[in-house]
Amino acid sequence: MVHYKSLIKPWLLVVAALCALSGVVPSPALAQEKVIKIGTIFPLTGPVALAGQRCKAAVETAVEILNNKYPNIKVPLADKKGFLDGYKFVLVHADSQGKADVGKAEAERLINQEGVWGLIGAYNSSVSMPASFVAERAKKIFMCGASSSAALTQRNMKFFFRTASTDEIESHEFVEVLKWLNKTQKNANIKTLGLIYENSVFGKHAAEEAKKAAAAGGFEVITDVPFTPGATNLDSEVQTMKSKNPDALFGAVLGADYALMVKTMKKMNWNPKVSLNYCSGYQDPVIAKQLGPDANFFMGSTGYSPQFSKMMPAVAEVEKIFKTKTGGVPYDSDSIQESVAMFVLAQAIEKARSLDPETVAKTLYANTWTSPLSLSGKVAFAPGGQNKLSLSIITQLQGGEYKRIFPKESADSKAVFPITAWDKR
Amino acid sequence: METLLQVLLDGMLNGMLYALVAVGLCLIWGVMDVINFAHGEYLMIAMYVSYWLGFLLKVDPLISLIAGGIFIFILGAMTYWLIIRYTIGKPPLSALLATFGLAMLLKNLCLNQFSPNFRILSGTWLGDKTFQLGFLIVPVPQLVTAIVALVIVGLIYGMTKSTRFGWAVQATALDKEAAELMGINTERIYFLIFGIGGATVGIAGGLMPTYLAVHPEVGTMFSLIAFVCVAMGGFGSIPGALVAALLIGIVEALSGFYIAPVFKYVAVFGLYLALVFLRPKGIFGW
Amino acid sequence: MNHRALKRKDLFWLALVVLLALMPAVSAVATNTFLMHVLILILLFSAMAQTWNIIGGYGGQTSFGHSVFFGIGAYGAGMAVVTYGLSPWPGIGIGMVAAAAVAVLISYPCFKLSGHYFAIATFAIVEIFHRMFLVWYWVGGALGLDYPVVEQGLKNFMWYDTKTGYYYGALALFVLVFGIVRFLESHRFGYYLRAVREGQETAESLGVNSQAIKLTAMALSAALAAMCGAFFGQYNLRVDPSMVMSLDMSMKFVLVTILGGAGTLAGPLLGAAVLIPLQEYTRALWGGLGGGVDLIVFGVLIIIIVIKQPAGISGMVRDIAKHIERRRAAAKGGTSIDAP
Repeated sequence: MVHYKSLIKPWLLVVAALCALSGVVPSPALAQEKVIKIGTIFPLTGPVALAGQRCKAAVETAVEILNNKYPNIKVPLADKKGFLDGYKFVLVHADSQGKADVGKAEAERLINQEGVWGLIGAYNSSVSMPASFVAERAKKIFMCGASSSAALTQRNMKFFFRTASTDEIESHEFVEVLKWLNKTQKNANIKTLGLIYENSVFGKHAAEEAKKAAAAGGFEVITDVPFTPGATNLDSEVQTMKSKNPDALFGAVLGADYALMVKTMKKMNWNPKVSLNYCSGYQDPVIAKQLGPDANFFMGSTGYSPQFSKMMPAVAEVEKIFKTKTGGVPYDSDSIQESVAMFVLAQAIEKARSLDPETVAKTLYANTWTSPLSLSGKVAFAPGGQNKLSLSIITQLQGGEYKRIFPKESADSKAVFPITAWDKR
Repeated sequence: METLLQVLLDGMLNGMLYALVAVGLCLIWGVMDVINFAHGEYLMIAMYVSYWLGFLLKVDPLISLIAGGIFIFILGAMTYWLIIRYTIGKPPLSALLATFGLAMLLKNLCLNQFSPNFRILSGTWLGDKTFQLGFLIVPVPQLVTAIVALVIVGLIYGMTKSTRFGWAVQATALDKEAAELMGINTERIYFLIFGIGGATVGIAGGLMPTYLAVHPEVGTMFSLIAFVCVAMGGFGSIPGALVAALLIGIVEALSGFYIAPVFKYVAVFGLYLALVFLRPKGIFGW
Repeated sequence: MNHRALKRKDLFWLALVVLLALMPAVSAVATNTFLMHVLILILLFSAMAQTWNIIGGYGGQTSFGHSVFFGIGAYGAGMAVVTYGLSPWPGIGIGMVAAAAVAVLISYPCFKLSGHYFAIATFAIVEIFHRMFLVWYWVGGALGLDYPVVEQGLKNFMWYDTKTGYYYGALALFVLVFGIVRFLESHRFGYYLRAVREGQETAESLGVNSQAIKLTAMALSAALAAMCGAFFGQYNLRVDPSMVMSLDMSMKFVLVTILGGAGTLAGPLLGAAVLIPLQEYTRALWGGLGGGVDLIVFGVLIIIIVIKQPAGISGMVRDIAKHIERRRAAAKGGTSIDAP
C-alpha cells in the first residue's frame, strides 16, 4: 500500500529549492567597489586534492597581499591597498576534481555565470588543456602556475601564461647533473638510467622528456617503469628496478606514492647511485617530516624551499600568510608558482593601466616582471606563454633539509654521492 | 631463482593482506547478498583511527588495531541499521546505490576533516623492520599482517562453522524466511554480520599505517581487489576468499616483475576472468 | 495495457521532446550557458542510462562494463579528429561497430556467469580496458587526445561559442535512444528480453533463444553507448582513459538508471533529471569551498533518496500518479482503482 503522507518529504523540497536556485546561483554583490573577479580551478577533491588545495591557498595568499597594505612585504604592489588606483581581486573558487570534463565545465561556468575577468589553474595538465581553451575562446587571460606539460605552451595561445618550468627544462637539468657528477666525483661512472613515473599525463610527459634528454646526453635508459597511481604496493616496481640496477633513477612520483616508493626501496634494501625527482613527491614540504631520515640523500629539482630564504628574502613574510591557510605547511615549488602568477598578473594590470584583456596580455608579453618569489627573481614570457626565465635548482635532502648542490653558482652544500646505502644509515 | 622466491614471498604477504581486507566483504556479501561499496572507505577510516591514536596518544598500531576493529564494527553496524535495513527486499542494487553514496560521503568527510595530506606513522614497533632468511628479505610488518590475517580468517571461518551463532548465520544466508520461521532473529544476524565484516577490515586498517601512508583515497584500490577476491573465491566462501587473495597476490607480484609493473592489475583482473570462465561459481563456489 | 493508454503515453513523450526542442528559443535559457550545460548533461546521461537500461534494466544483466563501450565510442571520434584529422562522423560509426563487436566478444563467455559473477566480470573488464588504453601508444596512452581547433559546425560536430549545437545533438541522441527503447518495449524483442530476465529456463522452454537475445541486446546497448561516448568526447574537447573508460563512468550508467527506476522507459530520464542537476548545482554552490562539501551533500542525498524511495524516482512518480488517479476517481464518486 502506498503511504500518501510520505510523498511530500522535506528532502524533496530541498531538491526543488536547489533546482530553483539554478537560475540565480548567487554571486556576491560587488557593484560598490572596483573589483576584478578571478576564477580559480584546482583539484580540491580527488586523488591530487593535496596539491590543489595548496595551490588554492597560494592564490589566496597573493590576493590577500595585493588587496591590502603590507608595507613589510617586499613584493611589488604589496605596500599599497589594491592596485590600478584601488582595484582589488575577488576570487571565485571552483573544484575540478582532477577531471578534464569537470574542469572545462567549471571554466565555462566561471566565465559565463560568475562573470570572472580571468582564470587561474588548473594544476593537472589534462584539465588546463580544455579549461584554457575555453578561456582563450572567451578572450580571458588564463594564468597557469604549476601544470608541467610542455604541450600547453606549444599551442600559440594569446591569453595563456605559465610561470612554472616544464619537464623539458628539468630533464635537461637532470642530465647536466649526471654529467657533472661523472666529472667531479671519483668513480662515479654513471652510464645507465632508470625511470619510474606514475602512468598519467604528468608522469608520461616527464618520462618522454627524460628519454629525449638522456639520449642527447649519451645515457642509456635501461628500465622504464610506469605504475598505477594509488597502487596498493610498489613491490614489483621496485623489484624490477633492483634487478636492472640502473646507476641513476629519474622519478615522477607524487605524494603518497613517493612515500611508498621510498619505503619499498628501503624494504628491499636497494638504492641507485643517484636519484633525481621531478617537482613532485620529493619536494613536498611534508615529505621530510613524514619519512624522517629515510627521505635523505634523494635529489630533485626545486623551485622553492624554505631553506632558500637567504636567496629569496621576500618570501618569508609572504609565507607566514600562506601558512595560516595551510595549517603550517610552507610553500613548495608548485604552489609558489600560483602566487607568482597572481603577483605578475597584478603588475601587468597596473602597468597596462587597463582592464582590457588584450592590452594586459600584450603587456604581459612585452615586459620582464619583478618576481621576488621566483628563484630567478624575474618572469618574462615567450610566445605561447611559457615563462622563459623560470629556474630551478637541484637540491638534495640532507638531514631533513633541502641543500642546494647544483648548479655550482648557487650551491651551498656538497652532494652526498653515491646515496648512502640503507643499512649504513 | 633468488629473485623469483623473493617476488613470490612479497606476493604472498600482500595476498594475505588482501585476504584480511576481503574476508569482511565476503561475509557480508555471502550472508546478505549486499555489495558494500564503502568497504574501502571502512579501511581508510580504520587507518585514520590507528594513525591518530598513534600520533596523538603514541599507541602502537599493534594495539590500536583493536580500536580500529571496534570502531569499524560500530560503523558497519550503524551502516546496516541506518541504511542497509531499508534496502532489503527492495529492487536489486539499491543497497549498492546507497553504499556508493556512503562511500562518497565518508571519503569526502575525511578529506574535509583531515585534509588531503598523506600521513605516515613513524617510530612504530614494527616500522621498516626486516630480517634476512637466507637470501630472502622478510619485512616484519607485512609478516605480522599475514599472521593476523590467518588468525582472523581462521576465527571467522570457525565462527561460521562451529558456533550456534554461525549456524544461524548460515541458515539466514541460505533462506531468510525459513530461518525466521525457525525462530532466528535475522535482523540481529544481519546487524552483527555487518558489524563483524566491518571489524575485520577495521583490524586490517588498524595495522596498515605501519607501512602505508594514510590519505582519503587509500581504500579505493584495496576495495576493487577485495571485490575480485570474493567473487573469485566463490561468494560467501571464506576459504575461497583466502585462496583467491593469495593467488591474486602471487599473480600480481609475478606479472608485475616478469611482464611489466603496469600490467600487474591487468593480470589480476584477467586471472579472475580466466578462472570464472573455467569455474563459473569461483574456486570454492557451488 | 490497453491501446488508449499507449497512445496517451506516447503523446506525453512527444510533447516532452517538442518542449525540449523549443527550449533554446527561450533567450533566458539559451544565454545561460550553465543551464544549457546542465540540460545537455541531463539529455546525455539519460541517453547513456537508457542504453544501460536495455541490458541492465530490461535484460536484468547488471553490467559495470558500459564505460568500455562508451570509451570506445569516444576514442573512435577522438582519433578520427585528433590522430587522422578527419571529421568525427566516420570515427563515430567505426566506434559503434567496434563497441558492438567488443560487447559480443566479451559478453559471449560472460553471459554464462550468473548474477554477481557476471557483474564482477564486467567490472574486471573495465579495469583491464582502462589500464590497456593507458599504455596503448596508438590511442594516445596516458596522455590522452586533445582536440585541435577545427571548423565549427555539424560536419565536425564542434561548436565553440554557443551550446545550441551540442544541445540539439544531445537531444537527437536522446530521441534516438529513447525511441529505440520505446519501440523495443512494445516489440516482440522487448518481451523476449524481459522474459529472459524473469527466468531464463522458463523463457527457453518457451522457445526463446536467450543467449541470442541477450547478445543482441548487449550489442545494441554497446553501440548506442559508444555514440554517447563520442558525444562526450566532442563536448569536452578531450578523450583520455580515466575520463571515459573508468569504473567511475560505468557507475554513472548504473546509478542514474537505478535511481530513476531500472526496467522502465522513464526511469533513466528521471534519474538523470534528479542526479545531474544535484551534482552540478551542489558543485557550483559548494565545490569552491574546497572541502568536498558538495560531494558530502551529494552522497547524503543519494542515501536519503534510496532509503526513502527504493523503487527509484519512477516508483515515486508512479505513486503520485496513482494518488491523483484515486482522487479523481473518488471525486467522480466512482469506486477507487485498486493498485495491482
